[in-house]
Amino acid sequence: MSRLHCSAFLGAALALISALGCNTPQTTTRRSSLMDYLYPKQQSAPVPNPAGARLKLPLKLGIAFVPGGSSAWRVQGLMAPGQEKQLLDVVKQSFRDKPWVADIKLVPSTYLRSGGGFENMDQVARMYGVDVMALVSVDQIQYTDPRWYSFTYLSIVGAYVLPGDANDTRTLIDAAVYDVTSHTFLLRAPGQSQTKGSSTWAHREVQLREHSAKGLQAAMTDLAKNLDAEVASFKAEIASGERKDVDVVDRQGVSLRQSGGQNFGGSFSWIEALGALLLLGAALKLRRV
Amino acid sequence: MDLLALTADALREPWRLWTSHLVHFGWNHVLANTLALAVPAILVRRQDRGELLITAFLVMPLLSLLLLPGLGPSHYRGASGLACALWAWVGLRLAIRRESFSAGLALLGGLALKVTLEGAFGSSLMPSQQGWQSLPAAHVWGALLGLAASFQRLPGPEAVVPHRA
Repeated sequence: MSRLHCSAFLGAALALISALGCNTPQTTTRRSSLMDYLYPKQQSAPVPNPAGARLKLPLKLGIAFVPGGSSAWRVQGLMAPGQEKQLLDVVKQSFRDKPWVADIKLVPSTYLRSGGGFENMDQVARMYGVDVMALVSVDQIQYTDPRWYSFTYLSIVGAYVLPGDANDTRTLIDAAVYDVTSHTFLLRAPGQSQTKGSSTWAHREVQLREHSAKGLQAAMTDLAKNLDAEVASFKAEIASGERKDVDVVDRQGVSLRQSGGQNFGGSFSWIEALGALLLLGAALKLRRV
Repeated sequence: MDLLALTADALREPWRLWTSHLVHFGWNHVLANTLALAVPAILVRRQDRGELLITAFLVMPLLSLLLLPGLGPSHYRGASGLACALWAWVGLRLAIRRESFSAGLALLGGLALKVTLEGAFGSSLMPSQQGWQSLPAAHVWGALLGLAASFQRLPGPEAVVPHRA
């Protein structure tokens, strides 16, 4: 081996060792903000329509990830191609059988401009023919902390064998639902998840990408569950008159605010059911006699 | 589940006239109503079981149609109206026979007590439920339909009074 090759090899080894030796905590943040999308800094927030929202059931609902920062959400590299649709499908599936939903359209985030505001939302809503839009924003933070034995990375073999990195991925997803016609804010629901794991130095990026995808999936499932509860609470608020800016009209044209959202059930109370069982026992005894 | 409940849509979606008696608001609701349905199902005479099933099948849509005008924009779920109809039907069938007179009277008496108390106090006697309230009208209409169905085919006097040797 020539002296030049020997020096090059030595230099590369030293560079790797110094890189491994500097194994410090690392934080990666990926974020898309609803406020930046709907209310870009150069614009003042539009005044809400004083007439409020009047929603006619069943609703056509559009759902989309808001773009983050200066580029479309997907471009930021958080989601693998096709994952965006897969994530939105989680919400779509959980609301598919709801009687108040006529259709759910998945809107690709590439159709939403960064800082596009309500103008952009209106364009997309018209394009897809939806009455309300659910805008989903994501906040994902990934922490990587070195374990005490991560110094073994200095041996190079340790960097490929020992899981000296503690990885922690925290994901928060927020869905805000707006009426397209009046731009009235209807409701919001959060979804969150936390994924923890350990990896070797060499496998760190692979695991972080896996955790990112899993975290989004879990947070989206949590969001679908919370959204269901928030819709029920939203309906109760309208029925009780707490939400004066919104009314919902059912298929028969009856306002939820007027009907109060009361439903009826034919029911026996537990005392009656117990009485019925006692009566049954007595009747069977009489029959035997 | 709302595709099966009784709403004004039942005139366009007629399956709701039957299915609304099979869907409930929760497991507590299902269990209490199942217990109520079990009583006439167990006490009915073996030879009347087929007729009881036919009666139940016919009573369901009739009861739904009677409840529809009072529902407005709300919806109805539950089998207690049907249970009341079956209590009345089986109670009357049993009461007209000497050997099962006491059992039949107990059924009719229990049903009358329930309907009377609900008539006097409304649904305030019922435990409070999340998002729905009990509908006493379903029980009254159910009881009346059960009695009417039972009167349709009462057995002749020879069946009522058993022959003595």
